[in-house]
Amino acid sequence: MKLNFAPWVAALHLVLFILVSHARSEEEPFRPEPGQFPPIEKAHTYRGELVFVDHANRRGSIRVQSEGMYYRIEPHPFAMLPFGMIRHRGAPADLRDIPLGTVLHVHAFLPPDPTTSPVPVMPISNKDKGYGYRGNGIFPAENHVLLLEDEISHCRRQGKVWVLKQLHIENHAGTIIARRVPAGNNDAKAEEETMTFDAATRIWRGRESLDVADLIAEDIWPAEGHKTLTGQTVQLGIMWKPTPKGVFTRFHISDIWLDDTAIQRATRSQNETHKAFVRSRWMPGWVDAVEYGTFGQAIVTVTLFGGMDDALYANFTKGISAMMNSVENTLKHAGGNYGPAHMASRGTILEVTKADGKIPLGSSGIRIQFQTDLIIEGIRPSRVIRICPGNWPQVNLPREEFIGDGNNPASRFPTPEIFPKY
Amino acid sequence: MKLNFARVVATLHLIVFILPSHVRSEEKPFRPEPGKFPPIEKAHAYRGELTFVDHANRRGSIRIDGNGRFRFTRPSPFALLPYGIVKYHGAPSDLRDIPLGTVMHVKAFLPPDPKTSSVPVLPSDNRLKRDGYAGTGVAPAENHVYLLEDEPSHCKRLGLVWKIQEVELKDNAGIIVAHRMSKSGNGDAHKETFSIDAATRFWRGREQLHISDLTDKNVLTENGIESLKDGVVFLGITWKPTPGGVFKRFHLRDIWLDKLAMERATHLQNETHKKFIMGRWMPGWVDKVEYGKFGQAKITVSLFGGMDDSLYADFKQGQKAMLAASENTLKHWAGGTAGTAQVASQGIVLDVSKPNKTVPLGSSGIQITLKTDLVTEGFRTGKVIRIRPESWPLLEVPREEYINHKRDGIEKRFPTPDIFPKY
Repeated sequence: MKLNFAPWVAALHLVLFILVSHARSEEEPFRPEPGQFPPIEKAHTYRGELVFVDHANRRGSIRVQSEGMYYRIEPHPFAMLPFGMIRHRGAPADLRDIPLGTVLHVHAFLPPDPTTSPVPVMPISNKDKGYGYRGNGIFPAENHVLLLEDEISHCRRQGKVWVLKQLHIENHAGTIIARRVPAGNNDAKAEEETMTFDAATRIWRGRESLDVADLIAEDIWPAEGHKTLTGQTVQLGIMWKPTPKGVFTRFHISDIWLDDTAIQRATRSQNETHKAFVRSRWMPGWVDAVEYGTFGQAIVTVTLFGGMDDALYANFTKGISAMMNSVENTLKHAGGNYGPAHMASRGTILEVTKADGKIPLGSSGIRIQFQTDLIIEGIRPSRVIRICPGNWPQVNLPREEFIGDGNNPASRFPTPEIFPKY
Repeated sequence: MKLNFARVVATLHLIVFILPSHVRSEEKPFRPEPGKFPPIEKAHAYRGELTFVDHANRRGSIRIDGNGRFRFTRPSPFALLPYGIVKYHGAPSDLRDIPLGTVMHVKAFLPPDPKTSSVPVLPSDNRLKRDGYAGTGVAPAENHVYLLEDEPSHCKRLGLVWKIQEVELKDNAGIIVAHRMSKSGNGDAHKETFSIDAATRFWRGREQLHISDLTDKNVLTENGIESLKDGVVFLGITWKPTPGGVFKRFHLRDIWLDKLAMERATHLQNETHKKFIMGRWMPGWVDKVEYGKFGQAKITVSLFGGMDDSLYADFKQGQKAMLAASENTLKHWAGGTAGTAQVASQGIVLDVSKPNKTVPLGSSGIQITLKTDLVTEGFRTGKVIRIRPESWPLLEVPREEYINHKRDGIEKRFPTPDIFPKY
């Protein structure tokens, strides 16, 4: 009898394929754990338009980009992780700073604790699911965000720029074809993207704020027709507006930064806004360890969350007075009717250390040891806190940004009911 | 018996005071009626900080200035009337254009129909109530907004300007004291102290300056920052928590140092809104329907006001147009594969007229008569519509901005106030 090897080899391949697939599908999906900053490599990434914001609870909705018909896609709720970072114009930001319509890049995880998620909990496999005309992966279960950044922040983090290739203009509006490439390597291979612009597009040059009409008046752009843009490198602010002629997805350019000075000025403005914000709301972090003493004394070790301006971290120095307050995962202060200082534990900073090596996104790598006479229930390992050095101004917060006496669980753990179902 | 005249006069005064007060309290509170633009003089006016926006349903929340401790004030929900106008940087806008934190001037009414209000319905005398430290009138029942405008829009509408009196700077932050007055310098001047910081933007011509630029003598000639004093400016006002136990102090996000700078800001916002209206169609309501045979009808509509003139000019006699039923939130209906256009009625504009009379806010004064072969249930007198001239691009609006004719339930047509937190 002569053996026919071909069917045997095919069958073996099939068995191997099934075994490997089965093993992969049984892999435990990754979820962030309390007290640990998750590795960004494990995050699911997507991008989309910011459609709704509930800044007081650090959550909102994004219309997630797919290969499908963009306008048909329902907004997808997301929540910021307590250590989740927001970047706008290359600087740290709060959700309230980002204009609705801005296209954002997202790195997100499954809910660390689905039972207290402030946004709907989706099936784990949802990122692979198709939704007809709308496309695939538009409602990922990974809706707890580690990093939310606008286009310019995304490009600056990755060392990228946009190279403009071609312009078509008619009545102060039109399209631009551009590629996102590594800075200094204009010839790098990158997919071309066609985006719209219009008479409301802002063009930043040095400290000037220009519009399309100004560029036409200066003969930089033609009034009508096509122009080849000879590889000019810029940064772009990207948003979405409905597109005519049946185009599935085409983003819109809200801002063009023509030079480094213009970019730096935009970054500085946002950075100053955020510095004032953090000084008034206090620096967030979480508790690494508590060494209990006697009569309510304790030494508390905390790690400060990352992504803020260095000047803020520099305000935490050994020997100064400080206040620490327990906060929720939304970063809302507890018991703030008389201001966060009323409920906070007072004490002294004993030590400030900065970790060596690679620091995970979400962490500053800065640890603080704080000694207090009033250790409270909210200051436990892995719990989120806010800390304020003695030299920051003391302000009282608006009503929606703190939790009253804590009797209402909905204010501590907002439910997803706010989000409409389509 | 000797009359004590002092007592008699005092009693008479009391009676005279009580009678009109009683009559006033029994006066029926004013409520807008369907099909009528309400007189702005009857609106309740207040101002406050925009703290929340649900732009798809044209509603949000405002922290109202009750002349108390501002930070104690809970955000008060509001809904825009279908013909309610939003103005930002002196130009028409949508709620999505206004950054959170912006201080807005509000003219508002009681809910026209409390049963379908998309925000909480409050006792009609609530504006007289004191809410502890927050002050008085911080949650008025007049939460259906006719006009929502930021400071430059408010000043431009009323012919007002701000004049800077004092500037105090320390470490790239400080205080500005300014007077708001009429351009002519007459009238009551309103004095206010504001904070500024390193994020405050100063606009001069087409330049955007930072506070650090102002202390550079190469940027501001002669006396540097001192040269701002007595300057006539427009202010963009916001709120940030204030240190030092100050009950209420607003913050300056923007200062327009000259007319050109303000005009450029107005132009940009106007262009944004023009594109927005072309994509979503011009809102209005139905004044009259003359029914013909087999679904034919002549429909007369009034276009809502406050838009750029060039948008109204696009409606021309003899031109094709599309008319779509809309909700009070100005949401379209959509279905099938062609979205909003699929459920719209097509027709010809028979007439465009502008009556020669005073036009109330909310109305453009422009009436359009459209002849269609497909009159639908949504086109009834007093109902809200959207209309598109043929020259505007046909765009698909995003999912949250339309009501799907099959999938969406009653709550999408009449959103409930459940979205707003209770403090």
